[in-house]
Amino acid sequence: MAATKKGGKSSAQQIGLSEETLLGLYTSLLKTRLLDERFRRLFRQGRFAGTYFSAVGQEATTVGPTYGLRIEDIIAPSHREIGASVTKGVPLVMIAAQVYARSMSLDKGKSHPCHWGYKPLGVITPASTVAGQTIVGTGCAMGFKIQKKDNVVLAFFGEGSTSRGGWHEALNFAGIHKLPIVYICQNNLWAESVTATLQAGIEHFSDRARAYGFPGITIDGNDVVLVHKTAGEAIARARAGEGPTLIECMTYRWYGHSEIDPADYRAQEELDKWKKKDPVPTAEKLLMELGVLTTQKREALADEINQEIDEAIDACEKGKYSEPEEAYNDVYSEQFPVRREEV
Amino acid sequence: MKKVTYIEAITQALDEEMARDERVFLIGEDIAVYGGVFKATKGLLDKYGAERVIDSPISEVYIAGGSVGAALVGLRPVPEIQFADFITPSMDMIIQQMAKMRYRTGGQWTCPVTMRVCCGADIAGGLYHSQTNEQWFVSQPGLIVLMPSTPYDAKGLLKSAIRGDDPVIYFEHKRLYRWIKEEIPEDDFTVPIGKAAIRKEGTDLTLVTYGLMYHRSLEAVNSLEEEGISVELIDMRTLLPWDRETIFESVKKTSKVVLVQETSKTCGVMAEVGAAIAEEMFDYLDAPVTRVCGLDVPAVPFAPPMEHFFLPNAEKITRAVKKVLEY
Repeated sequence: MAATKKGGKSSAQQIGLSEETLLGLYTSLLKTRLLDERFRRLFRQGRFAGTYFSAVGQEATTVGPTYGLRIEDIIAPSHREIGASVTKGVPLVMIAAQVYARSMSLDKGKSHPCHWGYKPLGVITPASTVAGQTIVGTGCAMGFKIQKKDNVVLAFFGEGSTSRGGWHEALNFAGIHKLPIVYICQNNLWAESVTATLQAGIEHFSDRARAYGFPGITIDGNDVVLVHKTAGEAIARARAGEGPTLIECMTYRWYGHSEIDPADYRAQEELDKWKKKDPVPTAEKLLMELGVLTTQKREALADEINQEIDEAIDACEKGKYSEPEEAYNDVYSEQFPVRREEV
Repeated sequence: MKKVTYIEAITQALDEEMARDERVFLIGEDIAVYGGVFKATKGLLDKYGAERVIDSPISEVYIAGGSVGAALVGLRPVPEIQFADFITPSMDMIIQQMAKMRYRTGGQWTCPVTMRVCCGADIAGGLYHSQTNEQWFVSQPGLIVLMPSTPYDAKGLLKSAIRGDDPVIYFEHKRLYRWIKEEIPEDDFTVPIGKAAIRKEGTDLTLVTYGLMYHRSLEAVNSLEEEGISVELIDMRTLLPWDRETIFESVKKTSKVVLVQETSKTCGVMAEVGAAIAEEMFDYLDAPVTRVCGLDVPAVPFAPPMEHFFLPNAEKITRAVKKVLEY
């Protein structure tokens, strides 16, 4: 279950957030959930190629830290960070265009459905190699330090990523140089089909931070308010030049590693238990208790989001793939055009 | 004009580019306080400070991956890999991040990293301090791969690499560091990426090579000249994307080709050059395209007689040229 090593007070006790922030967090959470569920359905309907990596169940781990970032701050995502793109403000049509591999997508259809990247808002298009963006993101933080800018980097990864050597090299370097980066570990208990207990001989992955000389904390990753506040403190420290933090968010992915994975390696009881800790109704309940949200307001918000999603999907359904010859572009700068093969 | 060594030319290029552009910074093992194990970065820490000349921990994954990240936020990193033999941990970052960044993002993000890699044999370095390993990178589109053979090119190509917007793997040959000296202009100059150099014009045969093997080939070509054999000697300088035009034009003229590389024969740079000549220049050829290469063994063996047995030299090159001419 969501182990809370420290700082695990209930949200209500430690709110201290404005109404606007609470509603903003909830809106991003709901938008992420509805968009994600829509993509799952569309994939099953055969509307786009490849596969789809759903983040349903773990939305609070991406929405919480991302909400309130500056435009210049960098998101170094993995493949399950749709919530970070949504929260940073990437237009839904651009998120959908990437899933549909359309020509209007900024990657022109070259990357993969869940490899969301959007430079105008500092979201780095990820590679599939695990922990890749953690290492590259650490380099972005090194760059900000060299440039004497007070921007920060949020690096997202699963607990399985922490087993890779490069992950350790990056965190080690960040600790030496007190880089402005916050590491968000989404411990969803499963790295594809392998349990967290087979990734490491420690209970809390946040313990790894101690070896690099910066704080690590384990929190309930399904409590968006707690995640936002914990990350907010870490971001403020990073911006002030006080170095990195590793935040382990305990969470759970409801569906398979991707839509082609039936996830039959885990027990139904485990899933049922976590579904009761669904981050969306958890936030809803809190906001309603606080009088920030009503059922009516929630319905109106969901309608508004669904309409936005409809429009985004509609644009992609009508959109086109790039011409196949687009495959030749973006290899080098214009100085070095790729040779066209005569076939 | 002043005479400088190959390594002095590299230091000058780094110094001048750091002075010219504050986005340029260096990161690598032992490069700051110690000035690099070969002293290529000597004096730069004092001049530019610890934030632009960074002594990294022993972390080749991070040296490469951190450089990618810094490039994404607008810097021009020049990481050093102390020995080409130690580049393997960096491969994930070079191949999956550096080479593919522009492509996978549709050109949103670019990766102007110039990775300096100290490489090469004939220094009694043994298995793990003698490899060149350029062959692993020339099969990865998205990368620029360079290996200069002269101080002029070492300086001019390094400057072009740092100023360009593409990721570059820049191989500098350790054997050439203090052996090769030449006069180079004191004014700012660059050498274009993607252009081979015709070092010596000739009519009987085209010899294509690069790096240390350019000097071994030159020795052979000079002695062949005394025997009345005219060889056109081409130094590739850029290994990816390589200069097909210059090489093909020469093949049209001579119809006979010898290709020389230091590393093992199988799937080396010359395997591609040879295949392209066979594919596109078949009608012009009067003899089999012939390669002189390092042996197909796992690495350069240590004991000096074995090391020299591994490597191509003027004698082996001369024999190959004569065999092709007699065909």
